[in-house]
Formats: sequence, C-alpha cells, structure tokens
Amino acid sequence: MGQPPPSAELASLLARAATGDAASFQVFYDRTSAKLFGIVLRILIERGEAEDVLQDIYVTIWRKAAEFDAARASPITWAATIARNRAIDRLRARAVRPSAPLEEADLVADPGPDAEALLAAAGDAALVQRALGTLDPRHAAAIRACYFEGLTYEALAAREALPVGTLKSWVRRGLMRMRTIVEGAA
Amino acid sequence: MTGALPLDPDDLPPDSALALDYALGALDRAARRDVETRLRSDPAFRALVEGWQAALAPLDAETAAVPPPAELWDRIAAEVTPRAIPTAAPAAAPAPVRRSLWESLALWRGLALAGTAAAAIAFAAVLAPAPAPPGVLVARLAAADGTPLLSAAYDPLRGAVVLTPATEAEHKGKSPELWVIEGDKPPRSLGLIDIDGANAHVIPRDRIAGLKPGSTLAISIEPLGGSPTGAPTGPIVATGTLSAI
Repeated sequence: MGQPPPSAELASLLARAATGDAASFQVFYDRTSAKLFGIVLRILIERGEAEDVLQDIYVTIWRKAAEFDAARASPITWAATIARNRAIDRLRARAVRPSAPLEEADLVADPGPDAEALLAAAGDAALVQRALGTLDPRHAAAIRACYFEGLTYEALAAREALPVGTLKSWVRRGLMRMRTIVEGAA
Repeated sequence: MTGALPLDPDDLPPDSALALDYALGALDRAARRDVETRLRSDPAFRALVEGWQAALAPLDAETAAVPPPAELWDRIAAEVTPRAIPTAAPAAAPAPVRRSLWESLALWRGLALAGTAAAAIAFAAVLAPAPAPPGVLVARLAAADGTPLLSAAYDPLRGAVVLTPATEAEHKGKSPELWVIEGDKPPRSLGLIDIDGANAHVIPRDRIAGLKPGSTLAISIEPLGGSPTGAPTGPIVATGTLSAI
C-alpha cells in the first residue's frame, strides 16, 4: 500500500533505462519491485516461483522500456500490467494451483478490504473501492478473486459451485457499473 | 473514455467483453494467446484492453507490497548490465550477424555526445495490417522538455509519410537520419530527414513498408550525407516505439 512514487519520476527513469542506463533502471526497480512482487506473489503463492517470474518481468521491462508511452498508461500501471500478465501466464502453464487457504473463503463471506485499508487508500483506489462497495458483495468478491488470484471464470465458478455464465455475468455487470461510477466521478 | 457503458452485460459489445475478460485476467491459456496475437495488429481492440487495464489498476492498492529478497536485483543486473560497449566500428569491420536490441542501445548510448539532451518521442502510428490498404502513420515527436520537434502524417495522395518540423532545430551542417530497430536486427536506416527549417520532408512509402508496431525508431545526427558506416555514428536525439493506435 502506501503512496505510489510519482509518475513523472518513474517515467523519466524508464526513459533513461531505454537508453541503456542500468543505474536508472536499478532506481526504477527499487521504487517498484515491492509492489510488483506483491502482485505476483498473490497470484502464484509459491515464493521461489514468484521470484523467478519477477526476475523475468524486470528483464522484460528493461528490454521494453523504450516502448513505454506515457500517453497510454502510467508507468506503474504499465509495469504492473506486465507483471500480472507474466504471473498469469505462469499460472496457466502449470496444471494445478497450490491451495491457498487464506483466499479460499467463499464469495459471500469475502468482506473486501477492511475499513483501515479503505481509509488509507487515496484517490483512484478509494474511488474504485467505493464503487465496488456499491455492488452486490458476491459480485465484488468475484471480481477481486479473478483479479488478485488470476483465476479463470471456469476455475472460480467450479470453486464456488456456480454456473460459469452466472459468474461471468456478475463480474462483467459489476465491472461495467464500477467503471461507470468511477468515470462519472472523474 | 468509454462513452456511456451499458449496465447490462448482454449489451456489452463482444470486443468490449473480451477486452474486459482479458484485462481482468479471467481467460484461459488459449484465449489469452488469441487476444495477445490480436493486440499486436488491432489498435482499436488494444485501446479497449488498455481502457480496462487502467480502470482496474487502482485495485492494486489493495495488494500489500512485499519487498523481494535483496539478491534478486543481482540476478536481474546480471541480465541487464550493458556489456562492454564496442568502439565505433570502422566501416570495414564486419557487422555482427545478430545484435540484441540492448546491445544496439548500449552502442548508441556510447556514441551519444555528452550534453546532448535525449529527446523523448511520442510516436504513434496506425499501420494497417498487411496486405490491407496502405498503412496510415501519424507521429508526434517532442523533446524531453515537451517542446514539439516534429510531426508526421501519412499522406494518402502521395503514398508517403510527411514529416514537418514543429520548430527550428539546430543541426546546421549535419544530417538527421531516421533508424528503425526491428527485434534483434541491427539498426536499419530509413534515410535522412530534414528537421531543419519549416519544410515538410517526405519518406517514400516503400521505405516504410513492413514497419511493425513494437519496433524502435530513433533519429541520430550524422555527418552531412548520412552515416558513413551504415550504422548510427552520431548522437541520438530522439527515440520512440512505433505503436499502432
């Protein structure tokens, strides 16, 4: 959690990394690696595997630094998207996901972030949390399960003993509503 | 920027639903691969995906940051630290058959003159997938401080890209040269461009044919008449990535 580093600083570090400046890239790593590792670890659970994937992610970021386009995404969103995609690819490549007892709580019981996290969240994060808070709690929990755990609709539907079509409809309806609220507030 | 999103998932256009599913991370392996293939050639679809990625990104604030072990950086550094920068190759030296992108970038960095402000480029392109009708290319290049440097637009009447300087540049007695780096290949010259003065400069279509999103574009400042070696020899004043929008 905590405040993300300023986008302008990260963007300029990426621009320097794109020219081969490894020192700037190391600063970029120092500023972003805990956030990205948190995302990857939440999807993959297994620490050694998450470390391997994180290594791969930063090598990719280094090679693709010149492709970063501030007009299309913030630097942290760009990097986190690369991280999520790599972690999900790794997850899909293996047959069985390790059991994750803490995340196995069923959708009805999932309370979302606690009040403290809600208060601490700033700006867009608070807005998105409030928007999800207006949804049917099961719909919000299904969105979080897909996003944070990297589960497919099919896997989550099986876990929750729901028809896939129902789950998909919950998630899509919930996200459409979330986005409408957030963009309406912008 | 979604316009008015419908509230019923049944009213969501299929591409928007697919973009949502992909951005959320809910697709299986085969479907993800299909989407990723399409992202490389379908700018409108990619914009939908990026819209959902941006909408979901604030959720990451709910994930606790976890510092990776300290030695992980050493593993990464071993892969990213530029190798010894080759000295400017004499014209007679055979070019390596394959040179990785980062080696090329390291070489360029080594050749860049100290004090030359690297310009950041916003280079956006619309390239129709081959063998579709002629590709459309638009570009906006700005210096690091935001000063517009150059704009480019595809001119269908001429079948060419027209580069128009936005400001007077200071490259008297030198020739700016445009390069593209495709994958692991060495930089390939797209020819000299005139970014001095106010005149538009045209790059013929055959020269830009086959350019793909993801390729790196760069402008270096070369002796009059262009690089004597076939590879960039002067300071890089701007780099950017060719992307379809």
